[in-house]
Amino acid sequence: MVPLATRNLLAEKGRFAMSVAGVAFAVLLVLVVVSLYRGWSDVGRFYEKLPGDLWLSQPATSDPYHSSSFVPLALGKRAAQIEGVESVVPVYARHIAFDRGGTAFDIFTMAIGTPSGAYALKPGQIDIDRVLAGDAGVGVGDRLELAGRSFVVVRTHTGGNSMFQTAFMSAADARTLSGLADRASFLLVSLEAGADAATVSQRLQDALPALEVHTSREFADAFASRVNAGFLAVVGVLVGIGFVVGGAVIALTTYTATVERSREFGVLKAIGASGRFLYGIVLRQSLVVGAVGAALGVAASAAVANLVKRDVPEFITVLTLRDAVAVFVLALATAVVASYVPVRRIERIDPAEVFRP
Amino acid sequence: MTGSTLLRADGLTKVFGSGHTAVRAVDGVDLAVGAGELVLVMGPSGSGKTTLLSMLGGLLRPSQGRITIGDVEITAVPRRELTRIRRDSIGFVFQTFNLLESLDALENVEIALNVAGVKGAEAERRARELLVDAGLEARLRFRATKLSGGERQRVAIARALANEPHLLLADEPTANLDSRHGMEVMQVLRDLATRHDKAAVVVSHDPRLEEIADRVLQLEDGRLVPGSTAAAASTGRWETPP
Repeated sequence: MVPLATRNLLAEKGRFAMSVAGVAFAVLLVLVVVSLYRGWSDVGRFYEKLPGDLWLSQPATSDPYHSSSFVPLALGKRAAQIEGVESVVPVYARHIAFDRGGTAFDIFTMAIGTPSGAYALKPGQIDIDRVLAGDAGVGVGDRLELAGRSFVVVRTHTGGNSMFQTAFMSAADARTLSGLADRASFLLVSLEAGADAATVSQRLQDALPALEVHTSREFADAFASRVNAGFLAVVGVLVGIGFVVGGAVIALTTYTATVERSREFGVLKAIGASGRFLYGIVLRQSLVVGAVGAALGVAASAAVANLVKRDVPEFITVLTLRDAVAVFVLALATAVVASYVPVRRIERIDPAEVFRP
Repeated sequence: MTGSTLLRADGLTKVFGSGHTAVRAVDGVDLAVGAGELVLVMGPSGSGKTTLLSMLGGLLRPSQGRITIGDVEITAVPRRELTRIRRDSIGFVFQTFNLLESLDALENVEIALNVAGVKGAEAERRARELLVDAGLEARLRFRATKLSGGERQRVAIARALANEPHLLLADEPTANLDSRHGMEVMQVLRDLATRHDKAAVVVSHDPRLEEIADRVLQLEDGRLVPGSTAAAASTGRWETPP
């Protein structure tokens, strides 16, 4: 098959390059927005990294970041006796606002009453998010004043972003700051090796009907759904704009290439080319622009995501292969839709015009 | 005529516009062309030559009259069928060559085969043969814009022949060519009609073409001038049309 579509496009190399760049930028916009959204949604995944399997909370609790919960510590002892439970530790969670150097900060503090491991901090120690450390200008060894108490930064961790950061402190400090004596925010349950989470969950629910049992994943999902509720519409609008811009670029390029070659399309019509044959040429033109532009856009998005991760950690970007493939396929679908306008133009070409000098 | 009637037009009329502004571009033309016959239609500008050719080629619907190619009355078939007839039965040669500029000589012929569903190596082989026959072996990979006028017209003729049509329709095929190249093209058309048994209708201002025509028809104000068909060609192979 004679590659007329690509020949027509490459006949104007400058225009082809600009069209491809236009599509690439549109795909870049879409993927950056999507990867930022993914980064936001996945922030709640940190619950799954904490040392426990099941959470006991007051009823009607969405997740520790978005809702408060107060659980009697005494129930922890009863929970620990349930078959399949290895240990139960208290968890304290609350937001603390503070001022540093004239700037207001809001930090989500957690304390996990585990006797050992990474979260077993001593009183007066704090482990803060790296984004907060950068914004507040503190590093390991520096002191941080929170709610009238002084903490030493002993460690930093990643996972936060420009609007959400966590800090971990000792359970003793958290209890004092929250003013809770015989209660915790949550009880975090670790299962025995080989225990079935669903079975143990049901046992806990039966034994402690005043509490609600959640998995870490449920909390993470609840966090993501809150993000979705706030951001999905905005993301949808931006992604929509990206596709409209990309589609318009493809449509304009293909339309211009078609109009410029309308006499040649007329010749093809005159010598017996079917509508399908002609539309195939236009469709291939659209798909070439769409595919090359989308491929470049995906590659640029991966590069931008890496740069952002390295240089601007507060903007968490998560670029997944699935999203990249989906956007690529949607870009091709947009190219197909964009070929509609030039196809209509071809339909109007009168083959008898070819006899005019 | 030399062979069985391949193209027949009866009472062919084309009116553009309506009412006071109506123009009868072609008015009641009767015509029959046989296989192996080359008919030249001459006439001044605006006499209706191109309109007549467009109708004969199925590119323009007549206001009245019938056109039959072989056994098929093309004025009675739907548009899609007309496209197929143009592809399989008619070869067009244009005054301005109308080659696809982004393609080379070989591809310009190949694409006509693609249109008919012949693809890949087979299309390339047939296109190559046609261009070699046209004396363009050394120009196969030259872009259309890099060819001389005569070479472009020979590529256009090769393209017109790609799908082995029975009927060739040529519009001023020598108008944009110098004397030498014009003569070459005339000879190619003559040979096609004679050796390959094609029916050919050529419209032109060029009196040189009379030398190769079997019959010369004079068109004025959309009508064939009575008696013009008696203008015998040098070959002497003609008959009085219906």
